[in-house]
Amino acid sequence: MISFRVTLYCCLISFCIVLYSEDTQAHGGVVEEDDICVIKVNYLRAHFKVYQPEALGHEQFCEDLPAAAESVFVMEYLHDSLSEMLIDFRIIRDVTGKGRFARMEDIDLIDDIDSVTVFYQAPIIEPDIFLVNYQFIEEGDFIGIVSVRHPETGKNYTAVFPFEVGFTGLGYWPFFIGLLVFIQFQYFLMSGRLKHWFGRKVSTAACLVLCLVFSPALFAENLVVTYTTPDGDPEINKMHHWILHIEDDNGLEIEGATVDVEGGMPKHNHGLPTKPLITVELGGGSYKLEGMRFHMGGYWEIVVNITTNNGSSKVTIPLQL
Amino acid sequence: MSFGFLKIIAVLFALSLFVSACDSDSFRSSEWTEAEITTLKSLWLESLSDLPDDPSNVVANNVMAAEFGSKLFSDTRLSANGGISCSTCHQVDRRFTDGLKKALAIGLSDRNTPSIVGSQYSPWQYWDGRRDSQWSQALAPLENAHEHGINRSQAVDIIFKDANYRMTYEALFGPLKSAMESNNIELNIAFANIGKSIAAFERTILPTASRFDDYVTALIKGDMVAQSEILNKDERAGLHLFIGKANCTQCHNGPLLTNQEFHNTGAINFSGDLPDKGRAGGVREVIDSEFNCRSIYSDDPAQNCPELDFIRTGVELIGAVRTPSLRNLEHTAPFMHKGQLQSIADVLNHYNEAPDAMIGHNEAEPLGLNDIELSQLEAFLTTLAAPISLLGAEL
Repeated sequence: MISFRVTLYCCLISFCIVLYSEDTQAHGGVVEEDDICVIKVNYLRAHFKVYQPEALGHEQFCEDLPAAAESVFVMEYLHDSLSEMLIDFRIIRDVTGKGRFARMEDIDLIDDIDSVTVFYQAPIIEPDIFLVNYQFIEEGDFIGIVSVRHPETGKNYTAVFPFEVGFTGLGYWPFFIGLLVFIQFQYFLMSGRLKHWFGRKVSTAACLVLCLVFSPALFAENLVVTYTTPDGDPEINKMHHWILHIEDDNGLEIEGATVDVEGGMPKHNHGLPTKPLITVELGGGSYKLEGMRFHMGGYWEIVVNITTNNGSSKVTIPLQL
Repeated sequence: MSFGFLKIIAVLFALSLFVSACDSDSFRSSEWTEAEITTLKSLWLESLSDLPDDPSNVVANNVMAAEFGSKLFSDTRLSANGGISCSTCHQVDRRFTDGLKKALAIGLSDRNTPSIVGSQYSPWQYWDGRRDSQWSQALAPLENAHEHGINRSQAVDIIFKDANYRMTYEALFGPLKSAMESNNIELNIAFANIGKSIAAFERTILPTASRFDDYVTALIKGDMVAQSEILNKDERAGLHLFIGKANCTQCHNGPLLTNQEFHNTGAINFSGDLPDKGRAGGVREVIDSEFNCRSIYSDDPAQNCPELDFIRTGVELIGAVRTPSLRNLEHTAPFMHKGQLQSIADVLNHYNEAPDAMIGHNEAEPLGLNDIELSQLEAFLTTLAAPISLLGAEL
């Protein structure tokens, strides 16, 4: 058993080392995090993915691309400020000789970057998402360079990601898969340990739940929100208004609060079709909420965020339409 | 003794089976639950409300304006090459679409030509809702280099120089100056009036009752014979799926079978284009549009613009486009905002698979429908075909 444990620890340590080295290599590059591919441009991060829709439909890739085909590069900002920054995107043929280990320093050594550039998107502010469509004409090794300029400091941050088009090699995958299979195998053998670990996780979860239950009392009062719909029951696709009534749990009406309302369908991952607003405080703890509309039947949640001098509260109103 | 007892049990059992069979038969005779009938009524064309007011367009319900708009709609002089009119892409015999993936006028446009039928009921126009009225929408293609390719001065002068047009215009809106004699605001007002006349015509373009609507009418009347004659077994099975397991009515609801809202359903990118940002771009454009509801060119003295006041923004609108109506699908292929899918079967397969969206998040979930169910859904969708009516007459 002990020898197994030693092996397991050795494996875990080596796994960490591999992860660490990937990470250090890519402080300005593309890495996989929790199954999603992320581009890091210094502290700025974006979900990074590449599609070859003509050749491979909806299949997405992180870096290496299977075919010399039309390729759509997508950066979905994980950091809002990217939507206000000048971003440029360049793809060059890899002439550094460094392959996967090419870095910005190697690219700086290239005399005439334009002569090896196959695609260049000049700096542009893209408010929602950054998109590039480039048709690769030939297979080979390429390097992507994304530069971001901070609007205030004027500082430039750069990410570099070497990749292969017409990718046939398997890269690190066999090593990772072997490692994962081995670790899984160890866990099966040490099922007693697994149970122990699981028990601890459950107690941590229970503690978390308890903390969450008691936490609102720590920074805000418990508020009760009720609502009426003066125009009748909410009808699908019809804009209408609500009257919100806010009290604390002693029945004291809450006046002068800042109330912000969001909502959506948790099952469909989308919000309300409108952005409702409190337009008038009616007094006596009542607030007029205008611009409500539901565009489909089903289960909705309306989240009322209330800020008073005593702190902030969040009340969720479930609604089945 | 015990044999006799068993016989009694057997008879009782048989009787109970018979009774329950009768019971389930009478249950089956009414094919729909109360809740389902409520849903069916909500999709029924009879439930369509009266034409919504458009206080931003003073001639919205004016017959003379509608007839004037109808002429403008098919007047090819309103284009840079003298060959393009609104009806080049919005062809009346194709339910105001053109049968192409992407619209082709002076140049190739970015998206599929949407139908105009029922668009007077939508707070938003275009796939991305970048205009908030029919009249402001009608102005944009005139000045788009890929569509009509003219400018507002040219448009106003075409009206000014045509004696009949000018007479009608002046009867509707008062004296018209040539573009040369007009200041900017006068020019914009005259240009907006062209849009308002076209919108008055477009407001008359409406769907008429389809076989589906006749079926609901028969259902409400309790006319069993008519029900089974109007829709066959497959079509009815498709309707069950449509309002049930296939989740279609989540977006395709109401009598126009659209919620007029914006959804990302993961349609694949159109070759050679950047992925379409959809509503995320449309929101910005409608807020900045010089002819929007808040502009001085709106005729509404109250300047009441709830749609703009409570407009939704945010990342979830990336890649979201407006839900189209499902009436008249037989004339409106290819489908989706860039005509990516050629047939109804292709569209149903797409929703059945619900692939990951290239940008944003696909709101649809895989449906797990089998081939028979897919063909039943398709059969049902064909029952929504019907003529349209225009200027008060059925075509």
